[in-house]
Amino acid sequence: MRNTFVDTVIGACEVRDDIFIISGDAGFGVFDEFKNRRAGRFLNLGIAEQNMTGFSAGLSMTGFKVYMYNIIPFVLFRNYEQVRNDICYQKLPVVLAGIGSGVTYAPQGMTHYSIEDIGVARTLPNLTVISPMDPVEARLAAVYSLSSEGPVYVRLAKRGEPKIHDTEDFDITFPPTVRKGEDVAVLFHGSISAEVMKAYDELEKENIHPELISVPVLQPLNRHYLMDKLKDKKLVITVEEHFENSGLGGMLKVLYSEYRPQWRLKTMGIPYGYIHDIKTQQGMREYFGISAGDIRYTVKNLLGDWNGQAAEYRQPVA
Amino acid sequence: MYDTCTAVKNGADIEKISTEIRRSIIHMAHKSKSPHVGSSMSCADILAVLYFDVLRLEPWETRDIFILSKGHAAMALYSALAVKGIVDKNLLDGYCLNNGTLPAHLDRFSVKGVEVSAGSLGHGFNIGLGMAYGFKKKGNGRKVYALIGDGESQEGSIWEGALFASKLGLDNFTAVIDYNNLQGYGRPRELCSLEPLRPKWEAFGWHVAEVDGHDHGAIRNAFEADSHGNPKIIIASTTKGKGVSFMEDSLKWHYFTVTDERKERALKELI
Repeated sequence: MRNTFVDTVIGACEVRDDIFIISGDAGFGVFDEFKNRRAGRFLNLGIAEQNMTGFSAGLSMTGFKVYMYNIIPFVLFRNYEQVRNDICYQKLPVVLAGIGSGVTYAPQGMTHYSIEDIGVARTLPNLTVISPMDPVEARLAAVYSLSSEGPVYVRLAKRGEPKIHDTEDFDITFPPTVRKGEDVAVLFHGSISAEVMKAYDELEKENIHPELISVPVLQPLNRHYLMDKLKDKKLVITVEEHFENSGLGGMLKVLYSEYRPQWRLKTMGIPYGYIHDIKTQQGMREYFGISAGDIRYTVKNLLGDWNGQAAEYRQPVA
Repeated sequence: MYDTCTAVKNGADIEKISTEIRRSIIHMAHKSKSPHVGSSMSCADILAVLYFDVLRLEPWETRDIFILSKGHAAMALYSALAVKGIVDKNLLDGYCLNNGTLPAHLDRFSVKGVEVSAGSLGHGFNIGLGMAYGFKKKGNGRKVYALIGDGESQEGSIWEGALFASKLGLDNFTAVIDYNNLQGYGRPRELCSLEPLRPKWEAFGWHVAEVDGHDHGAIRNAFEADSHGNPKIIIASTTKGKGVSFMEDSLKWHYFTVTDERKERALKELI
């Protein structure tokens, strides 16, 4: 996803001269081609995130389209107040390109994880929040960010994720159906898509057909479109490599109380708390119950329950 | 409210302009019963020189940029903008009031001439560096000026920016430190001394000038001095509350408000 995103931005340099990339001493080798193509349009501002963020805001005020690139804790957490005051309050077209979503970097340690960033980013008015789940969405996120007149936060994982969408011809602001299905809808964002797809393939073999819906744009959420899309479902499950309470799951809980839909809601995510466990990304997914096996089990279990005892599930039980 | 622009219309000097700015600050602080009077008074002379002698403001589209990084001195900026004729002076009447016109800390969407939203310290300085760099890249000759406080200089972001600015050759950027030696709860020199300040900035690769921040000629000369390809900082020694005897160098005038009686006494001194 990272390379697709960066390549799309670099590609845009063919037709425009205003793109500027600021790195905070991250992305070794990622921008070599950009530096060749656009000499003087790349700056490494070192390990000084407050300055990097204010500087990016100022640079954008002189007419440059600024991409501020770093691992997520350093585009959003360390410099939160600069993002708030300098970029979002001033409504500047700066793109915060963050990598290492969720526990991508496990077992590097909690300081390098970003399992609350969606919640943090959603406290910032004017900021569009995009969490692509495959290279297709990463490309569309880059296209969106290139034309955005306000700030955008793009939450990326790393490079090498497989392409999942069959088509590139859709608008990411409308949560797209990735695989058509029946009574169950699985909603997700970001790189947990790999687990969702594995679970989907297994469930298909068992003649269970969940509908997969990606939600790449989490702010502003196209809520009416999404809730309308879900209206005939019996069970809606959210899965994310993020705190369940402040991510997509939390958002769905709020929508649930506003819309009072007929379906049952189950939210799956990382439980609220600091991670001290030393595990790989895959190990973390299994430990926290968001792996392919967990998704498959949850769909089967709750769907089975639903078919037997529909009336009991008018309330969310997550 | 009062006639801000009399002095300017008559082609008066910077001395009178800075007095007008100070009188305006007193009026605004009185009407709004708001603090930061001393912080605003200390930088009135610097703003007078900037707006009437230094900044290139025509044509407006390619103007020089002034950023009040110590955004709590907003009354000084609004007053300078009004005296200069950039802001309608009637707007000053709605400063810091319910359903008013101007906020106590800067919002760039509020009124023409407020270039950057600022109020949290250690922000405007770095935004200014980014702007100066952008202007350099565009080769348009535009300059950027930022006024920071001495208390503000305790912020790490100031020193992050200081570290990078000279490396980037930002000789179109000038910072001024309003060194009034009084922050919210005491003297920086006692709380956490910035001294030795000049060698610090020099070590970071900046061209440093030290001036009496109330001496208009000295301030102007410092702005005009060649910085030899480096960013420039002018260390302006100032007096908090300058111009009104009972406010000068007094900690409480970071917070005190201007009552009717104090207003009359202050205006009598500001002539």
